[in-house]
Order: sequence, then C-alpha cells, then structure tokens
Amino acid sequence: MKLERKLAMRNLLRNRQRSLLTSIMIVATVSLMILFQGLSDGGHRAMVDIGIKMGLGHVLVYQQGYNDDPSLEHLLVDAADTGQQLQQSVPELTHMVRRLHLNGLIQAGANGVPITLAGVDPGLEVQVSRIADRKSMMAGQTLAELPRERSGNGLPGIVIGEQLARNLEVGLGDRVTVSVKPKGSSDLSREAFLVTGIFKTGMQELDAFWAELDIADAQRLARLGQEVSVLALYLDDVEKVGPVAARLASQLPAGKYEVLRWDQVAPELHSAVMLDAAGMYLLMVIVFVVVAAAILNTILISVMKRTREFGVMLALGASPALVVRVVFWEALFLALFCIALGGALGYAGHYHFATEGLNFREVFGTTLEAGGVLLPDRFFSFIYPGKLAFSLLFVLLLTLLVTIYPAIRASRLAPVEATRHG
Amino acid sequence: MARPTAGKTAALDAPGSASSTKKATTMANTSVIRLEQVGKVFEQKKQRFQALKQIDLTVESSEFVVIAGPSGSGKTTLLNLIGLLDQPSSGKLFFNGRDLSQCSSTELAQLRRDQIGFVFQAYNLMPVLTALENTEMVMEFRGMAADKRRAAARKTLTALGLGELMDRYPDQLSGGQQQRVAVARAVAGEPMLVIADEPTANLDSRTAESLMDLMSQLNREHGITFIFSSHDPRVISRAKRVISLCDGSIVAPVSQAVEFSHAV
Repeated sequence: MKLERKLAMRNLLRNRQRSLLTSIMIVATVSLMILFQGLSDGGHRAMVDIGIKMGLGHVLVYQQGYNDDPSLEHLLVDAADTGQQLQQSVPELTHMVRRLHLNGLIQAGANGVPITLAGVDPGLEVQVSRIADRKSMMAGQTLAELPRERSGNGLPGIVIGEQLARNLEVGLGDRVTVSVKPKGSSDLSREAFLVTGIFKTGMQELDAFWAELDIADAQRLARLGQEVSVLALYLDDVEKVGPVAARLASQLPAGKYEVLRWDQVAPELHSAVMLDAAGMYLLMVIVFVVVAAAILNTILISVMKRTREFGVMLALGASPALVVRVVFWEALFLALFCIALGGALGYAGHYHFATEGLNFREVFGTTLEAGGVLLPDRFFSFIYPGKLAFSLLFVLLLTLLVTIYPAIRASRLAPVEATRHG
Repeated sequence: MARPTAGKTAALDAPGSASSTKKATTMANTSVIRLEQVGKVFEQKKQRFQALKQIDLTVESSEFVVIAGPSGSGKTTLLNLIGLLDQPSSGKLFFNGRDLSQCSSTELAQLRRDQIGFVFQAYNLMPVLTALENTEMVMEFRGMAADKRRAAARKTLTALGLGELMDRYPDQLSGGQQQRVAVARAVAGEPMLVIADEPTANLDSRTAESLMDLMSQLNREHGITFIFSSHDPRVISRAKRVISLCDGSIVAPVSQAVEFSHAV
C-alpha cells in the first residue's frame, strides 16, 4: 500500500472515536436519504398511477382539435382501425381503452348537477380503472358486474361519485335522468338510468362531477355511431411515456390526431408531483449542507490535531501534493466506507418498504392527498437506479469538496512552526 | 546536484565493517554549507527581533559540528537555516556550492528530501507507522522502489541495533529506541548532511551517550556530515568543531577538530 493511503487508513483507525462519530453521521444521512428518496419516488409513482387510473391513461390519442374544443365535433371516427394500428405499432402497450366523454346534466327530483359522463367499455376498463376494478367503489356494483340482461324496469346502469350522490340525494337503485346535447341538434337528449354503483376516489372533480356508463349507452344518448373521444394507452412502464408519445406523434398522420402524455392532460397532478419532489430536494439540500459542515469540522480538527505530523512530513521533504493526497485519501476512505454501509442499510430499508409497503394511515393516522389524488393507504418504495447513483456520488463529491480546504491548509504549513506544534 | 561523497550504497553498512571504513576515508573535503553574512529577523506584532546577526560559517563534508549556546542564542534558528527549513532575511546561504537565495520552496523541499536527514528533539516519528515504515518514509518520498527502500531501512535499523524492533510502533518503543529510529530515518537514505536539534535533550545520560556514540560512528565510518545544536556539555565534548552562539552571533572563534575522547 502506498504511503499516503497507509497513513490515511491508519489515521482513521487510530482516531476511532472521531472516525466512528463522523461515520455514524454520514451513514445515517446516506441511509435515510435512500429511504426517503425511495418512499418519495414510490409515493409519486403511486400518485401518478392512481391519477392515470382515474379516467386518464399514460398516452392519450385524440382527434386533432379535441383539446381546444372538446365537443362532439372533434371525435375519433375511426377509433377501431386506429386502435388496431396502435396495438401493432406500440410494443410497450399493455392495455388500450376507448372512452366517450360527454358534458351533461344529471337530475334526481328537484336536484340537478352538471357533470362529465364517461362512456366506457366495462370489460376492458376493469384492467385500467380504479373505479371499474372496485378499488374505489363504496357501494353497489361496477359496470362490468352488472348483468347483461337489464333488470325488471329495463333501465341501464350508471355509476356515480359519492359526493354527487349526496348532492342529488340518491342512493343505490334510485333513478336519475341524464341530459346531453346530441351531435348536430339543438334539442337535448334525455334518458333515465339506475344508480347501480357509488364510488369514492378522493378526487373532488371525480367524486362530485363524474359518472360512468356503458359506452354503447353513451353513444346512443348522444345519438352517435362508433365515435369516441379518446383512445387511452397504458404502457408497461410509466418511464416510457415520453418516448412512446413522441414516437406516436411522428407515426400517426399529421393534422389528424393529437397525442398527449398524461402530464399534459392532467397538469395539476404533474405539478403536485413536481412540487412534492422539489420539497424533497430542498430537504436533501439542507441535510447535505449540515452533513458537509460536520464533515468539514471533523476533517479540519483531524488536520489541526496532526499539525506536527504534517509539519514533520514537509520538513523531511514531502511535497505539499503528498500531504494533500493523505488528507484526501482519508476523506475518500471514510466516505466510501460510509456510503457502502449507509447504502446497504438504506437499501435494506427501501427493500422492506418496496415489498411490504408503507401503510401511511397506520403510521401517521391520516391519509395523504396531493394534486387532488388521494394516495392509497399502502404504497411502495421505489428507487430509480440513476437517481440513487447520482445521490451517492453527490455525497462522495461533497465529502471530497469539503476536504479541499483542510487539505490545502495542511499542505501549506510552515515546517518550522508545525514541527514545534502541540 | 553532484554529491561530494563517493562510493555510497543504498544503505548503511554495519558500523565498524571494512567497507564502511573505506568509504569514510575516500570522502573529499568539500563545503556542504556556507553562510555569508547571514541574518535572520523575526517580526511579530510590530516588534522586530534579530535572531541571527551577520553569520559567516562554512561546514565541510564529513564534519561533526556542534552549535552550542544558551537558550535563545539562535541555535535552532541557525539549524533551521542550515536545514533549509527557513530562509535568511539577509546574506547568502550556499548548499553544496549552490546559492539558495533564488530557490523556490519546492526546490528547497526536494533538497531536504534528497540531501538532508533530520533528527528532532522530540523524535517526531509518525505514530501510525512502524519503526521500519518510519525509516522507509523519506526514501518513499524520493520515489525509491519498494524493495530497495525496504532493504535499506532493514539494513540501517539492524546496524543501529533495532533489528528486533522493526515492526513496533513508536508508542511501543522507549525514548532512546525512538530516537534511534529517528536517526535511522535520517541516515537510511544516505543524505549528505544530518541536522540534529538537541537530539539528546529528552534522553537519560546513558541513552544520550549511546546515541552520541552511534552518530559519531556514522560520521566516522560513513562520512555523513552531522550538525547538532546542543547546550549539553557531554554532547559538546564529542564534537570535532564547536560553534558558540550568543545573542545571534558567533562569539568565539570556531574551534577546530576537537578529537574524540571516547572510543567508539
């Protein structure tokens, strides 16, 4: 082992108490950083996942102009063909559903509320919707669970939000009337439905102003053929959204379709995630500053306590660069050890929460809502390898950065004074 | 830089051996250190203190010189200048014929590393290195190959009677043993000059005698130039030449060739 590495390593071992205290601090920081980063990113993924499963999708394909004017004049008329084409050209695709969104009025007795009606394929929607797969259902049946044969009174089923049910003063089995303005007509089209299910998502705009019905019923109500508002694509990995959306935008005929990512369609959800992530980064910066100050203090004291040793080395002809290397090796050994140990501990913590999940309600006694999305009681830690590598590298660089001053200070000692020190 | 000493090998031979005696006899008497009108002034808190005044001094190769004088006479300051640890405020300092007034601190450090060995009053061994590693250290600074420097360090420590203690750390050695390791560190790389600042000050008289025997033997048999500072009469009596300092000036004519009164 070269002299500078030998001196560095043995000095760390010689000052066990000091090395241990500094190590504990760095190890705790690194492990907590990994743990919090995993939980934070896991929480964000859960938020996005829930948002996407609340009538969104990873990538959404609309008729050109729909987002500027979401009326019946801008519907996808050849959704079946387009869907088939997308099935073949997007290998990342796991599910694809078509939806018809209508603006309408729902009434029960004297109560009326303007809402968005979502016409969905009940069978397909089960795979991609928290309303359709019962996770958000409070009472009754999902559309997919309704018998194909209509009940005695012959009314089609409708699933509405919990807040909307309260506002309308209706419950399961009650009759509601839905009115929409059909395409190409100034008259309203009106039809009665039976409330067969009530859901609660925690999202105000869904719980109070959203209702789902079979897409065939929606098309009939709006006097449409097979037209739909959107083709919602679900991918095998949320990280692939950007590239897939960009690829589709260039593949599909220009001027006919509009391809949007989930964060473009639901900017409030994206902003909430970004804001939370920014808060996390700010917290990290504060932690890093505190740790940097502590490491600087430790290494500075270590260097000052060894003034005589460094002075002797310089007197005997050691180059200032060698003294700098000794101090840097010391910091590097300390940092590498702490990063390895802190990384292992942090990863163990992450692994626990990645497999068992964190029950937020159980731990904190409350639910967590961000960007209008109510997080599930249990969500799972997730680590982006690149982000983790960057964080660990950052801790390493930070340690080395704060070592510059003590190292230069040691290398510039005057041998005559330094050899008399202490 | 040409070295005036000829026939040196990587490490010291055991004192008294035929080869070491032969080396000593082939040394040419060349000026190792020359000071011309050297002065040193310290300024602290607007106060000026003249530590050395107009010093003229030449030390030839293979000399065994003691700088004597009471505390505060300027012994350590003079040794620091001769050891190239400090630079004069006035006058000229020559090392092996080279004027050092234009040398950078890096060049001075290289000269110290390659040509000068140091023995400090407080030993100043690296506490985390063994006796062997401490002895190797300066040679490692020079970039000497590991096997060569290790062999030289082992040979020197054995020659100084520390063969059994090579793997001990300084805190496992007595004061006398530590100072012997310090001497080994100073001489293992075969420097032109060894500077020793009150090397016996922390030692009992028996250990001090033994250390002086060792250093005078290294001087005699290996031709290494030794310059000490001391106010210990037992050390002064062993010198071939005594330079007396008082209040920063050489006060007495330099006494030449005080013959050894002790057999080594």
